[in-house]
Amino acid sequence: MLLECKDFGIEFHDHDRPERAVEGVSFSLDAGEILGIVGESGSGKSLTALAIAGLLPRKKLKKEGEILFDGQDVLRMDRKALRELQGDEICMIFQEPMTALNPTMRIGLQVEEALRIHHREMDAAARRERALSCLADVELPDPEQVYESYPHQLSGGMRQRVMIAAAMVGGPQLLIADEPTTALDVTVQAQIIKLLQKINRKEKVAILFISHDLSLIRQISHRVLVMQNGRLVEQGEVEEIFEHPCKDYTKQLLSAIPRVEL
Amino acid sequence: MKVYLRKAISMLLTLLAVSFIVFAAFEIIPGDAASSRLGSNATQASVEALRHEMGLDRPFLLRYFSWLGGCFRGNLGTSYSYHMPVAGMILEKIPITVTLTILSMLLTMAVSVPLALLSAKYANSRLDRAVYAGNQFLMAVPSFFLGILMTWVFGMVLRWFKPGGYVSYKKDFGAFLGYLILPSVAIAIPKCAMSVKLLRSAILSEANRDYVRTAYSRGLSTMEVLYRHVLKNALMPLITFWGMAVADMIAGSIVVEQVFNIPGLGRILLTSIANRDYPVVEAVILLIAAVVLLMNLLVDLLYRRIDPRLRAE
Ligand SMILES: Nc1ncnc2c1ncn2[C@@H]1O[C@H](COP(=O)(O)OP(=O)(O)O)[C@@H](O)[C@H]1O
Ligand SMILES: [Mg+2]
Repeated sequence: MLLECKDFGIEFHDHDRPERAVEGVSFSLDAGEILGIVGESGSGKSLTALAIAGLLPRKKLKKEGEILFDGQDVLRMDRKALRELQGDEICMIFQEPMTALNPTMRIGLQVEEALRIHHREMDAAARRERALSCLADVELPDPEQVYESYPHQLSGGMRQRVMIAAAMVGGPQLLIADEPTTALDVTVQAQIIKLLQKINRKEKVAILFISHDLSLIRQISHRVLVMQNGRLVEQGEVEEIFEHPCKDYTKQLLSAIPRVEL
Repeated sequence: MKVYLRKAISMLLTLLAVSFIVFAAFEIIPGDAASSRLGSNATQASVEALRHEMGLDRPFLLRYFSWLGGCFRGNLGTSYSYHMPVAGMILEKIPITVTLTILSMLLTMAVSVPLALLSAKYANSRLDRAVYAGNQFLMAVPSFFLGILMTWVFGMVLRWFKPGGYVSYKKDFGAFLGYLILPSVAIAIPKCAMSVKLLRSAILSEANRDYVRTAYSRGLSTMEVLYRHVLKNALMPLITFWGMAVADMIAGSIVVEQVFNIPGLGRILLTSIANRDYPVVEAVILLIAAVVLLMNLLVDLLYRRIDPRLRAE
């Protein structure tokens, strides 16, 4: 088991009254598996993802339960140990490829940045070579040119590919993808999904795929978690959930899928 | 390329306009070089005679264009009160004011950037609040007052330096630099306070951007995120301010030079205005105007350098 989330919860203390955003979430994720999280907006998907990636704000919130990655609790690990995992073992891509890259830094430097942090034994030439091969792996045409580009010179789809390349550069065990295709148009969406599936097969990386789009979740995931209002509603194998949903909430979600086959 | 040609032409036009305004100002204020040279006891007739001899009785526009023609031929004229070529006089003073400005600017940058980074990293901590309070106070204190205060404390009470003990850069460059340190601190302090305030708030607003979260997700420490990602993006508003600060320091050194008894451009400008020595005043003011324009250009270039999105246009 790669990741085990036990009774995870978040309570915000940034206003007068404490606010409960996530509560009692337990699930596990095996190495090489694709686990989908689905739920309407505000159901706590992103907070759960950020917690696993160690990116929750450090102040004014209380974390409950445990999130064990390779047996270590990322919620209570000291910052230095956590940083060892970030970008090396646990990587994350985000919903907004347009703003997720630094506008004043060349793509190449951003792609190889994790190497600079985690693989100090690599020299500039080795880093560049690795970055170029990652850019080629995410099917970007002309990696050399992309390497020298700035973010504003690339389309949204290309930037999301760059984000994936930057995440994969250190060969992580877990890739968290928080609504990675929501901001993209439908054809690009399908390409990114295919790319993530290919990477999952080739690199044996486990993927936590988050979306509010059930058809995407069905297409890519092996297993699914359904979340609502910060709680886990149900979880199980994809076909099981989609064919025989147990909970009313899941049934409602499913009935809302437009019946258009692509 | 075309852009730069257009910029060069507009800069030239601006300088022309400035030179005309200075000339016109001397037309309007009472007194001229002849009356100021002869003093208040001179007879009307002797002033008229000298005026004729100096060519000051020629019509205003004629004088302006003959001076302007001289400038275009590389001749800035001769000082009425010092009887020396203006170009040489100014060239001799430039190193003093420029050194003072460079020292002040280096101090401003070297102190404000780390202080702003610390203040932003520990935002709302006790350190940050102390820096904030210090800034609010120091931004409001004028340089000449700081100069007077420092002369008193370091010169008269602690006796670390001799007030008025300016050493020419030609005689002993080390001693010259040493004497300029306190004046440049006086000039730098208010600019530094303002820089810290600007940069701190720029860093804090940049820190909420998505790319910062991406940087953290790669395992960077807070300082690495600030230095490698945030600083460059947050520097934009500060560069504009620094550009203005340099121009301001060149022009504003007038008062501080007076306080510390430094014979730079400020000193020569003040005496020349008093003597109605317009060739000198013209030259100094045009120099200041040119620095302001060049700083604007430099800020523009730096913007392009930092933000690749501006380069395409
Ligand atoms: N700083 C905060 N204070 C209080 N509640 C918050 C804060 N940040 C997020 N929340 C709440 O947490 C809930 C879950 O948010 P999120 O994980 O982003 O949902 P999702 O990604 O599923 O759309 C939201 O309903 C939001 O109101
Ligand atoms: Mg979300």
